Amino acid sequence: MFYTIIEQVVNGIVSGSVYAIVAVGMTMIFGVLRAINFAHGEYYMLGTFGAWFAIEYFDLPYPVAVVIGVVATSVIAVVVGNVVMQRIVGAPAEAGVLATLGVALILQNTIILVFGGSYKFFSGGYIEPVTLFGFTLAEQRILIIIVGLIVFVGLELMVTYSRMGKAMRAVSQNIECCAVVGIDVRHIALWTFILGAGLAALSGVLTAPVNVSVYGGMGELITFKTLPIIIMGGLGNVRGTFVAAMILGVAESLVATYVGLQFRDTVGFATLMLVLMWRPHGLFSAQARF
Amino acid sequence: MTEIARDQTVTQAESPAATGRDLRAPFGLALLALACIAPLFLGNYPLHAIIIALIFLLPAHGLNLLLGYTGLLSLAQAAFFGIGAYTSALLAVHFGTPFYLNFLAAGLVTGAVALPLGIPALRLRATSFVMCTLGFVIIGQAIAKNWISLTRGDMGLAAIPKPYFALGPASFTVSGTVGFYYLVLAIAVLATLAVYLIVRSPAGRNMIAIRENETLAESVGIPTWHYKLVVFMISAAFAGLGGSLYAHYLTVVSPLTFQMYYSTTMLIIVLGGGAGTISGVIFGSLLFVGLTEALRVAPELRMIAYGFFLLGLVFWFPNGFAPLISRCSSFLEKRK
Repeated sequence: MFYTIIEQVVNGIVSGSVYAIVAVGMTMIFGVLRAINFAHGEYYMLGTFGAWFAIEYFDLPYPVAVVIGVVATSVIAVVVGNVVMQRIVGAPAEAGVLATLGVALILQNTIILVFGGSYKFFSGGYIEPVTLFGFTLAEQRILIIIVGLIVFVGLELMVTYSRMGKAMRAVSQNIECCAVVGIDVRHIALWTFILGAGLAALSGVLTAPVNVSVYGGMGELITFKTLPIIIMGGLGNVRGTFVAAMILGVAESLVATYVGLQFRDTVGFATLMLVLMWRPHGLFSAQARF
Repeated sequence: MTEIARDQTVTQAESPAATGRDLRAPFGLALLALACIAPLFLGNYPLHAIIIALIFLLPAHGLNLLLGYTGLLSLAQAAFFGIGAYTSALLAVHFGTPFYLNFLAAGLVTGAVALPLGIPALRLRATSFVMCTLGFVIIGQAIAKNWISLTRGDMGLAAIPKPYFALGPASFTVSGTVGFYYLVLAIAVLATLAVYLIVRSPAGRNMIAIRENETLAESVGIPTWHYKLVVFMISAAFAGLGGSLYAHYLTVVSPLTFQMYYSTTMLIIVLGGGAGTISGVIFGSLLFVGLTEALRVAPELRMIAYGFFLLGLVFWFPNGFAPLISRCSSFLEKRK
């Protein structure tokens, strides 16, 4: 009994790490662009497909495939960022929603058009089980937790110390003032977007060996899981997002075991509504900003 | 209602089509007359497309009251559309009640469901509100899938009877595309009239005042919270009525009735036609039919084109396509 609970919590932390890497990109994009990115799960899907393509067609080893997946997604993000995302800085909320929904439809259906809509087997990654403190865990899951921690420490350092990170924080606080003091807001927006999309791709490639199969429509579910996380974490708040992602990951894992697997995907929005009734500004912000 | 709000709203309400104002009534009547004789020269398939457009017009009218007039962006229309469809279907299948009862019940139930959902959701700021309304769709779909004893889960409810009316001993059933077309047309005209009366009333002007500046509206004594809640309920009721028609027209409902696709479609109809105008929404629903028909090549290509259409709408026609047309017509008038 106790053993199962611990096991489910560990599984929850693994999926929480995955959500955290995806959601932190989205929340940073929101901070800078003030737009909810409905296409965010699509970059997760693109990263996975990039790696799957590299393994399946060129027989490359998994670590190389990870790099290819992330780089390919970043290249697409450069195009989308230049053509679409830069233009919604300062636009009304509807514009952001419609434009990113449009991007999601285009990316998702282009992949389905090119590769077909069926499920594809992802062969790669480190699936050997390891026993640690009496628990058996696949290597890949340990890798996910480690990469999650590295990403968050790295982001925290970048946002605090680097010039780009400071500019991102500044833009997320006040766009007009940044423009007045000479920060190139569109440039910052573009780079934040590319960073966010790249992180989503990284998370996709890391999870693919655990999920085993990849398909064109897989991004939508990730988008719907990420949205409650970034709201609960307080929009634009990096640390809050990490905690909210972990809470959601563990909650989903426990609900799937003790309530029923079919309810797993609603945990996010149900929790979100409960949290918002109690704290309308998310868990980790002093006051409502958005 | 104060002078400040009235001044502001009058200019807002009349500015979009001020130039084509004298032409609007005759144009509307001509369109209605054309709609009445449409079955004479249109085949079954185009009629089917127009029926779908007219069904979607109801939730779109509701969204327009919410987004176009009160300024609240909601993605919940698909949730209320689904609730309306299921209410109507369950009544028809289990109790065999006549169509008008199912239809009214769908509107009432969705309006009532919107009250407890709206109270927490409307306390949120813009972005969180959008997310919360999206959550209603996801949770609604999960309930439709998992409350198997009531909804039969993924199998959905089938064999929903075609609309029939029963008054005392007399009863008659609307079967066939043409009959359904006239039923939907009549309902759409009534709904449009209802929306017109709402937005032309002092309440409508208060809604516009809330959209333009909520703090100012509050400070001049408009009970903004109550307005937002009531408009949210009305918009949900409109979506529920649309869902009821949809269920009776297709004769099946399934958890797929709760889809983001429907919310997106309502947004396209409202924003594509021009939010905050009634004629814009009517135009938007026709535009949507034209679009889906024009894109009927291959499903993937169609969705890709849909995506590009959305981008074009956002970047080149942020006020929708209807103002473009009224600008063209005023340009032609000037040349005469």
